Amino acid sequence: MSDDKFDVIVVGGGPAGCACAYTLAKQGKSVLLLERGNSAGSKNVSGGRLYTYALELVEPGMYQRAPLQRKIVREQIMMLGEGSAMTLDYVDYGFGEEVPQSYSVVRASLDEWFAAEVEAQGAMVGAGILVDGLVEKGGKIVGIRAGEEEMYADVVVAADGVNSLLGQKAGLFPDVKQHAVGIGVKETIELPDEVISQRFALKAGEGAARVALGCTEGISGGAFLYTNQGSISLGIVFNPEQAAKHGRQIQDIFQDFKTHPAILALIEGGTSVEYGAHLVPEMGFHGIPQRLHREGMLVVGDAAQFGINTGLIIRGMDLAIVSGLAAARAILASSSPAEAGPLYMRQLEELLLLPNMKVYANFHNIFAMPRVFQQYPQLANQALQFLFRVDGKVPEPMAKGLLRILKSNVSFGQLAADGWKAYRSL
Amino acid sequence: MPNLLVCYKWTLDEQDIKINPADLSLDSSRAKGKISDFDRMALEEAAQIVEKQGGAVDALSYGTPAVKQSLKDVLSRGPNKVYYIADASAEIADGAVTAKVLAAAARKLGGYDLILVGEGSSDAFNQQTGPRLAALLGLPCVSFVAKMTLEGNTLTATRKLADCTEQVTVTTPAVVQVLSEINKPRIPSMKQVLGASKKPSGEIKLADLGLSPQELAPKAVRKSVKGFVMSRKNVIYKESNAEANVQKLVASLAAEGLR
Repeated sequence: MSDDKFDVIVVGGGPAGCACAYTLAKQGKSVLLLERGNSAGSKNVSGGRLYTYALELVEPGMYQRAPLQRKIVREQIMMLGEGSAMTLDYVDYGFGEEVPQSYSVVRASLDEWFAAEVEAQGAMVGAGILVDGLVEKGGKIVGIRAGEEEMYADVVVAADGVNSLLGQKAGLFPDVKQHAVGIGVKETIELPDEVISQRFALKAGEGAARVALGCTEGISGGAFLYTNQGSISLGIVFNPEQAAKHGRQIQDIFQDFKTHPAILALIEGGTSVEYGAHLVPEMGFHGIPQRLHREGMLVVGDAAQFGINTGLIIRGMDLAIVSGLAAARAILASSSPAEAGPLYMRQLEELLLLPNMKVYANFHNIFAMPRVFQQYPQLANQALQFLFRVDGKVPEPMAKGLLRILKSNVSFGQLAADGWKAYRSL
Repeated sequence: MPNLLVCYKWTLDEQDIKINPADLSLDSSRAKGKISDFDRMALEEAAQIVEKQGGAVDALSYGTPAVKQSLKDVLSRGPNKVYYIADASAEIADGAVTAKVLAAAARKLGGYDLILVGEGSSDAFNQQTGPRLAALLGLPCVSFVAKMTLEGNTLTATRKLADCTEQVTVTTPAVVQVLSEINKPRIPSMKQVLGASKKPSGEIKLADLGLSPQELAPKAVRKSVKGFVMSRKNVIYKESNAEANVQKLVASLAAEGLR
């Protein structure tokens, strides 16, 4: 091998890039993994849950070495009203048994660990390097450019994140569209581990994950909360187009969310130690670009817009890892760079990534209904308030009261239309 | 062609150090290491000299076992080889001990025309190591250097003092302590970063330097390190009338003794 030629160059040291580089290096390929941050993970912002099966696919038992936070056994859905909140709490200790289903993670440590695993497999890892171009020859991609320097490879794997510069430079897809992404803001709030366990009714090592609606002032979006070891990750994801029209600053809405009494009770006394913002692929299956490969290049992870958001389940990291693995397997199975692309698409099917995404293909339509983010959460809160209130006065008959609350939030026409749309999308 | 040695310190990145407000103690559990800021200028200056006129640069560091994390980083900044002394004693070493260790190692390696150091470390900033190193090696020390040129065995340097500059020339070998303004260190390029992992490093055992326990015992002992927190008055003037706000602000500044 000459000094500036590798079998594969992977650009981006997130879960997708690391999973790909790890698998290739383990099989003896010469691999260069390049990361723009000073260490892998330093540029990443992410909600913070990893579904464990993905790491198990890369290598059984690997998750036991990873710096995971808490295994998630509590799944919670919250609907916020003004000064009130309804929380559905599902606890399932089966989720924590054997290979636990999912863990909260902190990306700075997870990605750094993963990159070190890649290096231990013999790959070369270069951090602090911004890859800003591709080298093309005869219509094929044969390498990458960082500033004025070039490096060559049979295949370049673009794992460079949601607004993938390399995918754009390769002409595979245009720059991200406003409606196709969410903008996420997140804070990491430190609290003593025991306090977190108490507030969420958890035993040591167990975690809770929560999604919340009704906290975005009607903007399409929602909030998430994950319990880590000694910290809570709390964030909101917004539709940027609507947020821009809304007029209020995202951070102000986030601040209101944080100080909502039902949220404040969970984070009170904590210290915000980290603040970040990031784009999130939001279109699901329909957001995946038509072309994810060219001769000499494959696109994986967020760069390929892989993501699933059902409102209850938010998946990105697991799909990133699976896609990285798919790319690695395709490269390993191909005898020439030209074969890798079609094999990669087949691997995405065989590893069930695309079939998974297809199941939820139309879910983003549900989130296109504006009432999901304000009227329905409000309706739920007002209905419960009506049902629980006792003040000595003669209450309205139950059916009448509920109907009044329903009507004050939505019309029957809207309800029927939304219901039909939701049914069609499922 | 000159043979250069750059001494550097692997320090904690201060931006990751947190101050515990309760007792002002420092929490460095999350802090990563970095090459001391001012030592990067020394490395850059050496790299520039060698780029212009050839020669070779070695790097040398004395630190706790964590210093091993610095090797790739430092090698991506120009040196051909890095030597390091990794020993827990570095945790409490003062400038005198550090200089003794570095001097003994430099003497062992031998044959350097110039030894470059930063103006001080970005953690303790005692500015001791350079001058002490020169004294121990019996070499001239040129401190506070804002500009330098090396021609043959003559070093011409501009020293920046409080309110004047001074031009000096010395015959090498010498120790040079560079100021932060001497250059702007480059961000290592991809090939430098990747090339660094192929460059050699050599560990020098502290025990092999022939220093006695007395020599390694620091005379300046750090009793404590505490954060310094500026106490703020947190006054916000929020009248709707901007003029009234300004008047209140001026009045309160005057009350604080500001004229």
